[in-house]
Amino acid sequence: MDIIVCVKKVPDTREAELIITKDGKDIEKGELVCDINEWDRYAVEEAIRLKEELGGSVTAVAVTPDEDEDLLRKCLAMGADRAIMVKDESFRGSDAHVIATALHHIIKDLPFDLVFTGVQAEDDGYAQVGGILAGFLKVPHATLVTQIEVLERKVQVHRELEEALMEVVELDMPAVCTIQTGINEPRYVSIMGIRKAAKKEMKTLNTSDLGLTEEELGDSASKVKIKGLSLPPSGKGAEILKGSTGEIATKVASILKSKGVLA
Amino acid sequence: MKTTITSITKKQTLAQEYDLLGCMQCGKCTAACPVAMRSHLNIRKLMQEALTHESLNPIPMKELWDCTCCSTCTIYCPRELKPNELIINLRGILVEEGHVPTTIRDALESVFKQGNPWGGAKNKRAEWATDLHLKDATRDKEIEVVYFVGCTPSYDPRVQEVARALVKSFNKAGVNFGILGNEERCCGNEVRRMGEEGLFEILIEDNTNVFQKLDVKTMVTTSPHCYNTFKNEYPETHFEIQHYTQYVANLIATGKLTFCGEVDKVVTYHDPCFLGKQNKVFDAPRSIIDSIPGVKFIEFDRSRERSLCCEGGGGRMWVDASDSGERLAEVRVRDAVEMGVQIILTACPFCLLNLEDATKTIGYEDKIQVMDIMELVSQVI
Amino acid sequence: MREILVLAEHRKGVLRDITWEMLSLGKELAEKMEAQLTTVLPGYEVKSLADELSTQADLVLLVEDERLQNFSSMAYQQVLSTLITTRKPIITLIGHTACGIDLAPGLAAALGMPLATDCLSLTLTEKELTAVRQIYGGKVNAEVACSCEKGCIATIRAGVVSPWGEETRKGKVEVIQSPSLEGISRQRFIEYVEAAIGGVDITQADIIVAIGRGIQDKENIPLAEELAKALGGTLACSRPIVDKKWLPKAHQVGTSGKTVRPKAYIALGISGAFQHIVGMKDSGVIIAVNKDPRAPIFEVADYGIVCDLFDFMPVLKEKAKELLQRR
Ligand SMILES: Cc1cc2nc3c(=O)[nH]c(=O)nc-3n(C[C@H](O)[C@H](O)[C@H](O)COP(=O)(O)OP(=O)(O)OC[C@H]3O[C@@H](n4cnc5c(N)ncnc54)[C@H](O)[C@@H]3O)c2cc1C
Ligand code: SF4
Ligand code: SF4
Repeated sequence: MDIIVCVKKVPDTREAELIITKDGKDIEKGELVCDINEWDRYAVEEAIRLKEELGGSVTAVAVTPDEDEDLLRKCLAMGADRAIMVKDESFRGSDAHVIATALHHIIKDLPFDLVFTGVQAEDDGYAQVGGILAGFLKVPHATLVTQIEVLERKVQVHRELEEALMEVVELDMPAVCTIQTGINEPRYVSIMGIRKAAKKEMKTLNTSDLGLTEEELGDSASKVKIKGLSLPPSGKGAEILKGSTGEIATKVASILKSKGVLA
Repeated sequence: MKTTITSITKKQTLAQEYDLLGCMQCGKCTAACPVAMRSHLNIRKLMQEALTHESLNPIPMKELWDCTCCSTCTIYCPRELKPNELIINLRGILVEEGHVPTTIRDALESVFKQGNPWGGAKNKRAEWATDLHLKDATRDKEIEVVYFVGCTPSYDPRVQEVARALVKSFNKAGVNFGILGNEERCCGNEVRRMGEEGLFEILIEDNTNVFQKLDVKTMVTTSPHCYNTFKNEYPETHFEIQHYTQYVANLIATGKLTFCGEVDKVVTYHDPCFLGKQNKVFDAPRSIIDSIPGVKFIEFDRSRERSLCCEGGGGRMWVDASDSGERLAEVRVRDAVEMGVQIILTACPFCLLNLEDATKTIGYEDKIQVMDIMELVSQVI
Repeated sequence: MREILVLAEHRKGVLRDITWEMLSLGKELAEKMEAQLTTVLPGYEVKSLADELSTQADLVLLVEDERLQNFSSMAYQQVLSTLITTRKPIITLIGHTACGIDLAPGLAAALGMPLATDCLSLTLTEKELTAVRQIYGGKVNAEVACSCEKGCIATIRAGVVSPWGEETRKGKVEVIQSPSLEGISRQRFIEYVEAAIGGVDITQADIIVAIGRGIQDKENIPLAEELAKALGGTLACSRPIVDKKWLPKAHQVGTSGKTVRPKAYIALGISGAFQHIVGMKDSGVIIAVNKDPRAPIFEVADYGIVCDLFDFMPVLKEKAKELLQRR
């Protein structure tokens, strides 16, 4: 069972006060702490668990404009066997299409049974890379995967639908799965573990190694471009709902609806 | 005497490292262990099982996380062994393999990323003090005392009250002090006890680098946990390290801090393990309480070395006991109520939280209050 | 004629709300662009759904095939790519749902079209699609744009657009031959299963009803349970509730329990101690009910209700039931 996991590093913005950059197209990341994208972490863990159970190998792959060695070291410490990083400044501002193109170039020449990505990234939340990549690789895929069972040359997965409903789908391998959080409990990566993982194989490539051209990269190649960012007004403290109990309940129901629950 | 940091190497077996052959299986440790009443954790048995390291598999041992690292076992061992260090070591094996409770995992990751175990943002560490306009000890060279606030007083709104109370007393007594602001990091006391030795080393390095920039005579900590590790586990510092009870007791004794009111209450004092048992600071907190006008002080039956642990140490703030008997903090609160006490005083953020929580879980919040000593002091200065 | 295309989403014989929401959005776009509003309904024996849809679209393209009985991203992709290639709509709208997330990226890749996912609102001109999305977990709004000259695809977040409700169109239904659906057997639908009950996983819930000591008695827990059920949510609690053994440990939110990030968190009778807050503060929307107006929970909540939770719970439960019945 050879599994490739695509990973990304994202800034942890949960606690932070965010500031938009001067050009209005990104947020200031200097002060922010970065770590592996939450969904990817579950994807790496799932790959390693399958490997521990069935044998084979796990390769972690990252396409990035930044020096993300620590991200891949973390994957190696979790139990991945090798890591590949394609670093190029021109990935800055790339949309999912460009990232999937680059990943495709790396993966197409590697042997694999399964490719995992996270369902989406914490930062841009597009939820596209896995699906596009499957399209490029011309293999079947399933998104929002919450359970995987490997059978003879195929996998049976559970997909998370709405309203606590699951869908069971079978895919012939090779296949792509985008992994949903909660599929497992990702293990802790200790400092010792990371130090030890320093011995594992890590390849750093650039875009020309992959045969990618300028036209296929970066903001200019991206089909979807960011025009501008803005911060929604952040009211501190709760808005207190007033009225009769019935009126308040109606208000609550409409709030829930607007958040895509109760739908 | 400094305890050196233990780390098990492949060659050194557990038996040598902890002198397990020296254990005579007398069971004094288990008899004294406060969590033994409510957990399957049996430290005597563990000392024996660890002898055959090969067969000891710590992974299924959920009760390893029940230990509060109070060190009572170590204090009571007639052979001067260190049973609680063995637990820390076994946890280290779990940590290295990644098999830790998720809440412990999250706390450790938060320490690595944000410098505190509570998930708070690194650059919001000093937010609690924004309106206090405290001096920055890393810049201001005139400062005599650096106040090491600690993670819980920095981020937990309940415990921020304690930090504020201490600041009020410092100001009142004219202490020339500053804080480290966002350069302060987790001290690592709990991190080490959760078995994450590698991270602990990083924290020592980070904090020591900041400490070296300081030109102060004294560092004062809110928490006995910070105090313990700085004093016993960090490299020697060029300034003295004191728990706030020691520093404030002295402010009172030298007349720098005076009272202007009375507290007409019956109080008792709960000894934090990391202040009392482990560092023998018993008298300073009592002398502060004694000097507060009006208070009637009564001792717990189990006090000083025999004090009951609140179960807040050793990572237990982030993981509940594997078995659910009555919490020790609840036992403590019940005892105090029976004694006719109105306020339980303590001098540790974790004790404060655990005891206060216990008043709620047993429904005694109208009968008794839990406060940090500084909170009471600040009411009457 | 120019066309706005909407993919009708249905499951187990029922059209899903997102479909009406997209038709409502599609109607606006169609009017502005002077385009026809067309909806595609792939499925099997779904003629009645097609008739329903015709009340809000100019044209319903009904693609019936046994192999389209249940959603399959591979089969749907073939249906849509054939239609999009021949009809060249300005834009194709798909729900940002479990279905749309599975379908849209592969479809966009196959057609070489730009795709904007999880959009809250759309503006269309001759040349360009502009969409508003949320990034960084909803902390930042982003305006993104792509060309629509050669067509484009957008997936729409559920619950943000209000559906029209009444009949707006009298469209016709056109039956379309399904494409060959070659190669789709590499992906096979097996069955639907309800998410495992018993072993509750509160971290996976979209909506959490959490109770604290304000619930007062074990006897009252069924009231909260019923509310959670009516809302399609999961029951969680603060630590004292676990301490009292009123609920199992798996339900506990907080530093020594679980960290949750549901879309909505309803806190009933929880004071908001730091150890609890740490475990739920990143929830999508937090609604707190507490009789104490100074309870710290109101600091982190988005909406606060100062009242007795026993007055509020039954009313909200009825409201939720009403809403669900109407569908
Ligand atoms: C080490 C440690 C770990 C902890 N871990 C956790 C944890 O993981 N999770 C956790 O939740 N806690 C944890 N705690 C406990 C935490 O500190 C609080 O004690 C606990 O969260 C309080 O629970 P509560 O809000 O339900 O109860 P309370 O604080 O007692 O609040 C009850 C609230 O209900 C309101 N109320 C009462 N009756 C009504 C009514 N009829 N209608 C409306 N409102 C009403 C009251 O106004 C009050 O605000 C931990 C504590 C410690 C010390
Ligand atoms: S350190 Fe304390 S809790 Fe741990 S085994 Fe020893 S006595 Fe028990
Ligand atoms: S008290 Fe010391 S000698 Fe006695 S059983 Fe415990 S560790 Fe062994």
